[in-house]
This record gives sequence, structure tokens and C-alpha cells, in this order.
Amino acid sequence: MKKLISIMIVLLTFFWFALPAQDLDQILGGIDPESTPNFTYGIFKGTTIINGQSVEIPGHNDLRFIVSHRFGAVNTGLYNFFGLDQGTTRLGFEYGIKNYLSLSIGRSTYEKTYDGGIKVKVLRQQTGIKNIPLTMTIYCAGFAETTKWEDPERDNLFSSRLSYAAQVLLARKFTRNLSLQISPSYVHINLVPLLSDQNNILSVGFGGRYKLTPKFSINGEYYYLLPGETANDYANSLSFGVDIETGGHVFQLHFTNSQFMFAPGYIARTEGKWVQGDIFIGFNIYRNFSLGRKS
Amino acid sequence: MIKGIEIILFLLLASSDAFPQDIDKTYVCRNGQISFISDAPLELIKASNNKLAGVLNANDRSFSFRVPIKDFEGFNSSLQRVHFNEDYLETELFPYSTFKGKIIEETDLSVPGEYKIRAKGKFSIHGVEIDRIVRCDLIINNKHINVSATFTVFIADHNISVPSILNQKIAKEIKVDVKFTFIPSEQQADN
Repeated sequence: MKKLISIMIVLLTFFWFALPAQDLDQILGGIDPESTPNFTYGIFKGTTIINGQSVEIPGHNDLRFIVSHRFGAVNTGLYNFFGLDQGTTRLGFEYGIKNYLSLSIGRSTYEKTYDGGIKVKVLRQQTGIKNIPLTMTIYCAGFAETTKWEDPERDNLFSSRLSYAAQVLLARKFTRNLSLQISPSYVHINLVPLLSDQNNILSVGFGGRYKLTPKFSINGEYYYLLPGETANDYANSLSFGVDIETGGHVFQLHFTNSQFMFAPGYIARTEGKWVQGDIFIGFNIYRNFSLGRKS
Repeated sequence: MIKGIEIILFLLLASSDAFPQDIDKTYVCRNGQISFISDAPLELIKASNNKLAGVLNANDRSFSFRVPIKDFEGFNSSLQRVHFNEDYLETELFPYSTFKGKIIEETDLSVPGEYKIRAKGKFSIHGVEIDRIVRCDLIINNKHINVSATFTVFIADHNISVPSILNQKIAKEIKVDVKFTFIPSEQQADN
């Protein structure tokens, strides 16, 4: 009996002192476990970093209209008003079918090229339940140039017009402001002018952005051609630019040595040389339309 | 000797009224509903969240709430949700909105009935803490306390800056609706 009572006293005093000390926040922490994944949003503002694709895709049911423009070469001087007299354009649409899947179509002035592509977000950078350090998106696209045949008499095949690109885009948002991407890329061009020219071209892209304010970032992008005939004949694409975001619009302004806005172009057919001032001023404008409004 | 111990025991029991009641009178809520509306001239934005968690100590009427900002859903587009988290609420830096304080009225929360009370405390969102008094409606049943409240958040109070170009699309005052049920914490533990 005596023993029991003393045990009770010990227990009671223990609870008496222990319980009131229990903090509400402590209880709160206990009932509110991290139950949903912490996705990393906004690795890049645009679905392109500059010329090349970023890991981002339009959101579910979002339609993006993209106007891209590259003026002529800056080193053409005052006569061409530093390139502003000339220019090439790409008009494109992108649509997010799911939050991990999007389709794109576009048409570029250069060689009257039509393009159609698909982007699939395979991994999403996240913390919480799962820890995934980076986002991975796969981009596959086909391209068809539609200029008039040089020699209509010849037996021309439509397949001669086609080229393809496949990219594995890997990006990580390191801090709120800094995101970096590496993009191993493969380009196949069906018909090349010379026997010695490569049909299959491999390249590795590097890109990144640094946000100076929430709505403004500086971007850079470089595509390195793996050694081969293409690397000997053409230049690696190097571009710098800024992103300016205003609600449903993103404006990207940049300097680049590549006048093309589609993968086989900027990866495999870049001719401009930075050292010679062979660079182009350009912009991409995104306009976002949300089609599937939630009520 | 035994008598002495009994007296001590009795005194302890009598004085420690905090002990048995503390457990009884701690209420928790895990999946509370919270929603907001931004009603600007050019755009109406709605979003809601059912991850509101809260604790209430019915003895001293103190409470603490927490909402993970990232779990707000709705909006007019997924892009808007990204902007909400990235540009305005800066969710990576300030993952939670919190409200912590005490009920002003000395209502006995163990008595069933309907009450209008004022909850006073520190309200924090976007890392900026301000003192707020929020009017709440309580319906106390035998076991549960149903709470509903409506209040307004002035985004300028919390250092949330909206570019002037979007002034017509994002309201300066955000209307917030809260609805949840407190249940005794023991019952919670049983679940």
C-alpha cells in the first residue's frame, strides 16, 4: 500500500509538472506532419531558357502562345541598322495536356520550317515524402522544312525535309534564385548536303538563370557540339539574355550567335561567331491563356 | 505515516486541477478548411486549403494555428499558383502562415452552446507578424467545437508587393474564410 501510494505520488508530481509545460506548438507539430510533397516551382520562367528548351512545361490546360524573333547580325552595321532590318520569326503554341505532359507546334521563317514536339516531365524536384534533387524532362520533336524543291524534276522525297531532335533535360533549382540545367541532346538530320556531313549530331547543352528580383532574371545558355564534322563546320551556340515576367507574360530578350529557334538549327547549324560580332539580338514573348478554368 | 502521505496525495490531487483537465481540454484540428478570395476589378482569384492545423487549450483559452501555404489550390491557372508561391508568398522562405494567441472572452468552453468570441494573437504570413483580433463563431457540442471565421488580410501589412501593372488584377484586401472542427486531443490519439 505504502509503495503504491509513493509510486502514485511520483507519477502525479511528474505529470503535474510535465503537462502544463507542454507547449501548444509542440502538439501542433505532432498533429501536422509533412503530408504532401514539397514541389519546387518555377525552375525557369519560360519553357525555353533562350533558344533551347528548359525543363518547364505549360501547366495543365494552359495554352501558351510564343512569338520569337531574331534580328539580323549586329555586325552588318548601320546600313542594316545593326540587324534590325532583317530578322526571322517563329510563331508557336504550347499546350499542357497534363501537368507532366505538353505538346507544341510552331513555324519558323528559316527554311519555312514547321515543328511539332512533345515534352514529358519524368521527375519533379521535391522534398518532403520523397527527396528528388532535380527535375527531368524529355523533349522529342520533329521538324519539316517546306521550301520549294531546288530541282522539281528530280525524284524528291518528303523524308528529305525532315529532321528530329531528342533531349534529356536535367535541371535543379539550387537556391530561390539560381537554377542550372544540363541538356544532353541528339539531332538527326535526314538529308545532309555532303557525304562527309553528319546525319546524327550529339551535343550537350548547359543553361542557367539567376533571378535578380522575383520578376527579373539573367540567363545564359551554351550548346557544345561533340567533336565531328558538324563541330568543325559550325559554331557552338552561346547566348545571354534576361527574362522579364509580368503576370501572364514572359519577355525574354537576348544576344545569341544562333539565329534559329528550333533544335536542329541552333544545335547543329549555328554559324555566328561571337568574336567577330556575328551576333543576333532577339526576343521571345510568351502569353499564357488558361483554358480550363476551375470554378 | 500513511495518513501523512494520504494528505499529501489529496493536496496534490486537489491543487493539480490542471492535470486531468489539461488532457481533456486540449482540442486539436487537423484538416481545417481555409480559403481566400482576391476580388480585384479585372480578376477574381479563389483558392482553398484543407491542411489547416490547430490546437486549443480550453483551460487558458490559448490557441495556435498553422497553414502550409504550398497546399493552396484553385487559382485561375497553374501558372498563377506558381506565381503565388514563387513571387508573392515566397513559400520556400515562409512555408507557413500562423496565428497564435488567446481568446479574449472568458467563455467556459466546456459548456455547449453558440458563442461569438474574439481571438487575439499574432498573425503571421509571408514572414511578417502583426497583432490581430479575429471574430469567430463557435458552436460547442458535447465533444466538438465548430469554428467559423471571416477576416481580411491587407497584403501591404505583410510586405507582399504587387507590381503596379497588376494592381487591377490582385486585390489589396484578401478575404479569408476559415471553417474547422476542434475535437478533444485524446480522441485524436485514438484515431
